[in-house]
Amino acid sequence: MDAFFASVEQRDFPELRGKPVAVGGNKERGVVAAASYEARKFGVYSAMPSVVAARKCPDLIFVKHRFDVYRAVSQQIREIFYEYTNLVEPLSLDEAFLDVTENKLAIESATKIAKEIKAKIKAATRLTASAGISVNKFLAKVASDIHKPDGCTLIPPENVAAFIDQLPIKKFFGIGAKTAEKMNAYGIHSGKDLKAFPKVELIRRFGKMGSYYYDIANGIDDRPVKPFRERKSYSTERTFDQDLQTMDEVKQKIVELASMVSKGTGKKNIKGKTVFIKIRFNDFITYTRQRTLHKITNEKTIIENTAIDLLTEFTTQFKPVRLLGVGLSNLDEKDQNQISLNL
Amino acid sequence: MKFSVSSATLLKFLQKAGGAIGSNPVLPILEDFLFQVEENTLIISSTDLETSITTQLDVQGEENGAVAIPAKILMDTLKALPEQPVTLLIDDEAFGIEITSSYGKYKLAGDNPEDFPKIPASEEDDTVEIDASVVLEAISNTLFATSNDELRLAMTGVLVQVDFNKLTFVSTDAHKLVKYAAHNVNSNVSASFILPKKACTLLKSVLPATGMVILRFNRSNAFFEFDNTQLVCRLIDAKYPDYNAVIPADNPYSLTVGRADFLNSLKRIVIYSNKTTNQVILKINDGSLNISAQDLDFSNEAAEQMTCSYDGDPIIIGFNAKFLIEMLGVLNSDEVFVKLSTPNKAGLLLPTEQVENEEITMLVMPVMLNQ
Repeated sequence: MDAFFASVEQRDFPELRGKPVAVGGNKERGVVAAASYEARKFGVYSAMPSVVAARKCPDLIFVKHRFDVYRAVSQQIREIFYEYTNLVEPLSLDEAFLDVTENKLAIESATKIAKEIKAKIKAATRLTASAGISVNKFLAKVASDIHKPDGCTLIPPENVAAFIDQLPIKKFFGIGAKTAEKMNAYGIHSGKDLKAFPKVELIRRFGKMGSYYYDIANGIDDRPVKPFRERKSYSTERTFDQDLQTMDEVKQKIVELASMVSKGTGKKNIKGKTVFIKIRFNDFITYTRQRTLHKITNEKTIIENTAIDLLTEFTTQFKPVRLLGVGLSNLDEKDQNQISLNL
Repeated sequence: MKFSVSSATLLKFLQKAGGAIGSNPVLPILEDFLFQVEENTLIISSTDLETSITTQLDVQGEENGAVAIPAKILMDTLKALPEQPVTLLIDDEAFGIEITSSYGKYKLAGDNPEDFPKIPASEEDDTVEIDASVVLEAISNTLFATSNDELRLAMTGVLVQVDFNKLTFVSTDAHKLVKYAAHNVNSNVSASFILPKKACTLLKSVLPATGMVILRFNRSNAFFEFDNTQLVCRLIDAKYPDYNAVIPADNPYSLTVGRADFLNSLKRIVIYSNKTTNQVILKINDGSLNISAQDLDFSNEAAEQMTCSYDGDPIIIGFNAKFLIEMLGVLNSDEVFVKLSTPNKAGLLLPTEQVENEEITMLVMPVMLNQ
């Protein structure tokens, strides 16, 4: 979906149309969750601190998020996807991979399906979406970002190599700003440069991910579209309006967060083997620490005690704390051999 | 507003209505019951905005009125009192509540009844009359097979199809599926809707074992009326998948086995299975059923042999024992049919004798065996 949250707000509140809109808190510590295209012209992007966004675009209108509405729209578009295939892998509320190789309507052209889905989304939600069509998930995702908004981009097999060659490194899905910077330092600026690097070199410099970078640069991405995306972790974090000044305050918040994680995982019937914490100090330096337990759990006291234990190393060099998070990972995996009904 | 009532009677009705109150209400007033006294009748309502229950009981009314009253404090108070008459006096201006028992007085702050959310009312909607016992049976048979996957919203609820005299309840999580049909229903409509899990769970706890239920529904809500009580729920607005297409019509192999024996055997064997997969293996030959499991991580294994009657080629098939245990636990017949085709296709679990006017089909998907 194009500028999803912001577009929903502009749809529902006509007075916001044609204006720079940011969904998110305009408080000192808020961040932009989504920016309308009008706002993007001023350089306002999602995840940007609201203060910075307001500076870049003084007329920026901040609106509060309405997640219930976004979730309802998300559900609407998913229902449309399921008309074509069950192989739908949601990437977020407003993005999903679809494997339409064998689709329910036996339509041969993926582009035709993409156009139909776009039209149905528009009819059902009065919102525009952009589609990317290609031979694998990586290329489809990159393609979908090319002609936004309301785009529909096909990268056919014969154009894959040429397309990757010219693609700037920072546009690669899975390569973040930090990695892109590092690659630039090695003289890697485009797909072509990346391709020129041997796999072992990339692994040496970027660790495990190096192998993924090598593959995508060479058009290799065999990851299947997984209809039930496996949850990798469950966590809760909070940015505080005012920094926490003492370790006791931090501990108290950790206890609250642990209880939320325990409650949330209990409700969803998820258990995990690894407890982790995230702590960000007022100088923005962030640490994560984790510990793997002997058996899977979602019990409050175990999460709480482990999380508090993980905090101890920070007691000696305490600084005011801006953000805290607690989570469970290494989750109890589902049976991979269980066969599902094709519903 | 002022009335008197037996503490135990009031508590009983509050427990009935209290199920609709959510565990994490989005508005403080949703932690309240709405009390309305009209003459000698007290009407109690509760809601989480999705599901609402309204029920009424006879009280000794002295003064009409309404108030929203914090549920937890009131129930905790009543639970802590031995049965006795209690009097509730409400200040209609400030919404202060005073409870009087034989031991003393308890005061708490209520909320403005005007702020309590309006509960949807049924207007000329489609109507079906059903025995409460049929609804209970239908829910008990289907509730366990609903999905928890919020990405497939439709499957998190129970599909209810009304087709004149036939009522069908369907649930599935893509690994198991249950279809329960009752043929003795009184209606002149053909329609369907998806009932959320919470409403089903609540119905299961508040429906009487006997008597009639009047079910009304429209596109957005369903209304269940019984025993001076009304349960209203918002329906799931999604398209239910075409479940009929996945129920095999002619699984050729048929195993007949004692339900309780099979169930008890599985309960023992599953203890030795892998804890994440609960995988058990059924080896079925003419006249014998071998049930086994192993957990390689802990060197645990178990096997049992049962007699059965079997019509078909020998087969080795794996299942998640938990699914079989749930299904066998819900069925009532002395014996069950297990109808199979190949080790990677759906198996059917059916009672050998269907109860009159009732038809239950249970489907379970196997697990692939690594051999």
